[in-house]
Amino acid sequence: MAIVDLIATNVIRVPLKSNTKTEVIRELIEVLDKAGKIEDAESVFKAVIARENMGSTGLEKGIAVPHAKTEKVKKLTLAIGISSVGIDFDSLDGEPSKLFFLLLAQPSQSGPHIEALAEIARITRSQSFCRLLINAKAPEEVIDLFRDE
Amino acid sequence: MNKPVRKIMVYVDGSEESIIAAQYGICFAKSMGAEFFVLYVVNTRALADLVSARIFLEAEEEEYKKDLDLDADRYLNHVSQLAAKVGVDVNLLRASGSISVEIKNATKKHEVDLLIIGELSKTLSRRDELYNETERAMRSVNCSVLIVKDEERVLELYNRLI
Repeated sequence: MAIVDLIATNVIRVPLKSNTKTEVIRELIEVLDKAGKIEDAESVFKAVIARENMGSTGLEKGIAVPHAKTEKVKKLTLAIGISSVGIDFDSLDGEPSKLFFLLLAQPSQSGPHIEALAEIARITRSQSFCRLLINAKAPEEVIDLFRDE
Repeated sequence: MNKPVRKIMVYVDGSEESIIAAQYGICFAKSMGAEFFVLYVVNTRALADLVSARIFLEAEEEEYKKDLDLDADRYLNHVSQLAAKVGVDVNLLRASGSISVEIKNATKKHEVDLLIIGELSKTLSRRDELYNETERAMRSVNCSVLIVKDEERVLELYNRLI
């Protein structure tokens, strides 16, 4: 499944209000909760934090990809958040993270889950595309970037 | 006259679209009297890419590999049951590696003349053309390809056979 099929304006938060790693995870989960994509926000939060405790998903160049398997989503679900200031996410290069992809999937949906993560991995390789995303000012702009890219 | 379609293969990945494609494939195989294959690919290529991109830890790669193996059993078994319900014999195939490469290999090895896949994204970006594995398979296989749409009609066709 293409990333563009998983996103809509109601699952994109630009700019994020959070200032810490825990807050940004909670904020993106709240976005999904409000969009009706998850059943139990607290349970989902615990699943994402449990994965982060194994090792941070903060990559290089200001990108983070928190993810988890959980029964509390009906199907593959993505939220995108963009922080204008950057948030300490224990990233590999020590730089603050600005672009967040929060991906959740049912445990029995590993195939589409892995394909979506692999697509995000490919996106993160394009520094120019990530720069455009980080500079987006509104959810509609993010969607347009994915459609036009 | 030879039958236009003798061997049909459906690619399933666990998505709803791929299961609908499998149901259409079953209907098609029954009406054509064609041999029916279903393929699941354990996407070890993507797992390796995710470790390389540092999105996955090595322990996570192992865990997801096991999940994918279980998914392969689950979805192949599910399609097998769907086929059995309407009296269609099914050849279950599983492979590991890159999805597009393994689909192409399987169509060639089993001399498939029609590959059936689930509905693709309605919004095509340039990146999808380059990287979407199912799109890539669709372009690279040597046989004809059928993309299944209209879930309601497919379910109606399938249910009529039960």
